[in-house]
Amino acid sequence: MGRAIVITSGKGGVGKTTTTANLGTALAQLGFSVVLVDADIGLRNLDVVMGLENRIVFHLVDAIRGKCTLQKAMIKDRRLDNLWILPASQTDDKDAVTPDDMRRVIGELKAHHDFVLIDCPAGIEQGFKNAIAGADEAIVVATPEVSSIRDADRVVGLLAQADVSARLIVNRISAHLVKRGDMLSQNDVIEILALELLGTVPMDDAVVATTNKGIPAVLEGKGLAARELIRIAKRLAGVDVEVSEHVGLFTRIGRALGLSASPA
Amino acid sequence: MWNRIQTLFSGKSSKDVAKGRLHLVLAHDRTGLEGGRLQEMREEIAAVIAKYVQIDPDALDIQIETHKRETQLTVSSPITTRAT
Ligand SMILES: Nc1ncnc2c1ncn2[C@@H]1O[C@H](COP(=O)(O)OP(=O)(O)OP(=O)(O)O)[C@@H](O)[C@H]1O
Ligand SMILES: [Mg+2]
Repeated sequence: MGRAIVITSGKGGVGKTTTTANLGTALAQLGFSVVLVDADIGLRNLDVVMGLENRIVFHLVDAIRGKCTLQKAMIKDRRLDNLWILPASQTDDKDAVTPDDMRRVIGELKAHHDFVLIDCPAGIEQGFKNAIAGADEAIVVATPEVSSIRDADRVVGLLAQADVSARLIVNRISAHLVKRGDMLSQNDVIEILALELLGTVPMDDAVVATTNKGIPAVLEGKGLAARELIRIAKRLAGVDVEVSEHVGLFTRIGRALGLSASPA
Repeated sequence: MWNRIQTLFSGKSSKDVAKGRLHLVLAHDRTGLEGGRLQEMREEIAAVIAKYVQIDPDALDIQIETHKRETQLTVSSPITTRAT
């Protein structure tokens, strides 16, 4: 039996879809069998981030309505042997699906795959409730900003109520802004949200560039964000990888030389 | 640069300001209490205490703080000592 993990945030645009695509790809690269489920019905994006938009015939809502089998609705990624995506419908709205439908679909996927990653829509309404319904665990994505952390806190409360355990990814952190005192550090975010940290992903232009091409950054393997996302995937899979601190090169050199003892 | 100068003078970086604002906003979000309602509660509590001991209602301080997901309401007030 596999694990179903929902990637959620409350606030929109903080990196849920990017995180889902990259963690799923990295887990598949590690040899696991992975399905990515786009639960953002009406505003699907996972297909374009993965570069599979031209191959969709059926989608999640079709499968739920019995218009096709679940297998028929899944698209196999041609770049990796063991990676599938279950696209959302772009024309239906969120009420086309119920939490019970999701529990049934996710349960079926879990029976055949190691990881089912669910890309949650922004907000905390019906779409969110559907997305978390079949999940065993959650990854809360937050950027180091007041509004994102506030929304993440709301989501953490709702996940606790639903008995879904949550871990944190801090996304789009910028080491030089943190150093200058103009951005909350990963430790600030952990302290405020009181969640276990899964990892911190830096702000990285390579993410924007690879996303333009429909290639997950981890597949090209370029850039700091890709490197961290691969580490996070390993940590998710239980391969022991230390959570890295985001400190500048000079601090690191300084520390190596024993010049500075204070952690970031 | 200007940021650093500001930080030097006020002792507070924009990140510290963000952190302080977050603590307050989350305290309100977690209790469901709006900032204005908190003010009303403060006045009512001051009135209750004033029935028993002499206090300066303006000096009454209410704080809602969250640590490790536990939210704590603290009311503190100096008591005015009697003249006699
Ligand atoms: N670490 C990063 N560095 C740079 N850009 C990033 C990073 N993470 C995400 N982005 C960019 O931020 C934008 C929003 O990301 P994404 O679409 O994954 O967010 P989302 O949370 O899924 O949004 P929505 O709530 O609309 O579904 C995208 O343009 C993406 O390329
Ligand atoms: Mg998205």
